[in-house]
Amino acid sequence: MAQVIESLKYTEDHEWVAVEGNIATLGITDFAQSSLGDIVFVELPDEDQELEATNSFGVVESIKSVSDLYTPISGKVLEKNTTLEQTPENINEDPFGSWLIKIEMTNTSELDALMDSKAYTEYCESNS
Amino acid sequence: MSAKQTSLYETHKALGAKLVDFAGWEMPIQYENLKNEVLAVRENVGVFDVSHMGEFFVEGPEALEFVDYLVTNDIKNAALSKAIYSPLCRENGTIIDDLIVYKIANDNLMICVNASNIEKDFNWMQSHVSKFDCTLTNKSNDFSLLALQGPKSFETLCKLDLGFKVEDMDYYSIQTGTQNTLIARTGYTGEDGFEIFGDHAQIKSLWSQMMKLGVTPCGLGARDVLRLEVCYPLYGQELNDEITPLDAGLNWTVKFDKKDFIGKKFLMDYAPKYRTIKLALEKGIPRSHYAVENEDGKTIGEITSGTMSVILSKGVALARVEKNLYNNEENLIIDIRGKKYSAQINKKPFVAGGHK
Repeated sequence: MAQVIESLKYTEDHEWVAVEGNIATLGITDFAQSSLGDIVFVELPDEDQELEATNSFGVVESIKSVSDLYTPISGKVLEKNTTLEQTPENINEDPFGSWLIKIEMTNTSELDALMDSKAYTEYCESNS
Repeated sequence: MSAKQTSLYETHKALGAKLVDFAGWEMPIQYENLKNEVLAVRENVGVFDVSHMGEFFVEGPEALEFVDYLVTNDIKNAALSKAIYSPLCRENGTIIDDLIVYKIANDNLMICVNASNIEKDFNWMQSHVSKFDCTLTNKSNDFSLLALQGPKSFETLCKLDLGFKVEDMDYYSIQTGTQNTLIARTGYTGEDGFEIFGDHAQIKSLWSQMMKLGVTPCGLGARDVLRLEVCYPLYGQELNDEITPLDAGLNWTVKFDKKDFIGKKFLMDYAPKYRTIKLALEKGIPRSHYAVENEDGKTIGEITSGTMSVILSKGVALARVEKNLYNNEENLIIDIRGKKYSAQINKKPFVAGGHK
């Protein structure tokens, strides 16, 4: 059973979002890392890049596959987790500790479309 | 049409395999961990269910002549009890499939073909068989097939005791075993290994015996990484309906000294358009269809297969480049999502493999 953390919000693309003020931190969930398998490459956007909700902002690659990362939130990239470029396997080991990017949100109402942990758990069950 | 299932389908499900549609078959792409499956085959022993592949039999007085005429490699002069890899070509030299011929006897040959090409191959062969005194039968539904691969496949096969001395088997030789099994010392991983053809019940029993012996079940994902690390071509990627064996670096399988074979006339005078090259990247992972450029930024071809090598922990790929645009440069550029990554030409396969 994949781990889900109660305090976070979730997308249908199996990403988690942590919110602090107007800053959103994004990562991929335990369910996502487990279905991807060994993650061997991560490509993230540079700081100051403007992202628009539902657009792809990077990729994670396992040995056999390439998966796009989609942001549910519009805003400016404040920081990317450069550690993951060297050690992408951290995502497998600790998906909720391995954040990908931090975004300065331009439209916090976009958060309303996200699932809470209960809805996400049900979503995972219906998708596995 | 719903996907077909091999006789081991329930076994794969019980093992927690991730199953995907492959050539109309619901096949295990991986079990617990792809990396561990690759390592099991390189260092120990693993087994693949490859029952989706097709088996044809050619029987009769002119069976050998017929098969020798169908394929580009030399079947006639090959020793009995040998397996022979060959492309199957049209008159215009293009590749219908790549296959293995098992020379059981001069009047009894088995041909193992790719699952995705069973119908195409059979129809093609059928349209040529009438000129020969032999019969062609598609027995794909009667057989299951396991590939036992890895340095410890030899001792594993000894323990299975199929009624013959495993040490008598050379690389690419074949043996008939007990209960109508056919065993070939072949594989698609570059390691020592055996492919075991048999009826469904027999193969199910062999699979469970292998599990008890601690053999790692491996999926098609690991198989693809393993074959790519040793640079074996895959039909649909390195090989296809539009190119000839000479475009794909398979010159060694085209025997022009044979009296005749389909495609000979055309291929004799053919100047290849393409070359297949091996590329390794320090950074970035190459994937099929990514553009390959020279250092001036001109596109000269594309990646046909790419992956992260488990053994080397770097991106490796096979690419098809246009012969007149590739000037033996040692370094090329791969375009990955708009970013340029440097790639080095490898002369030899990325991983040597331990087969004999």
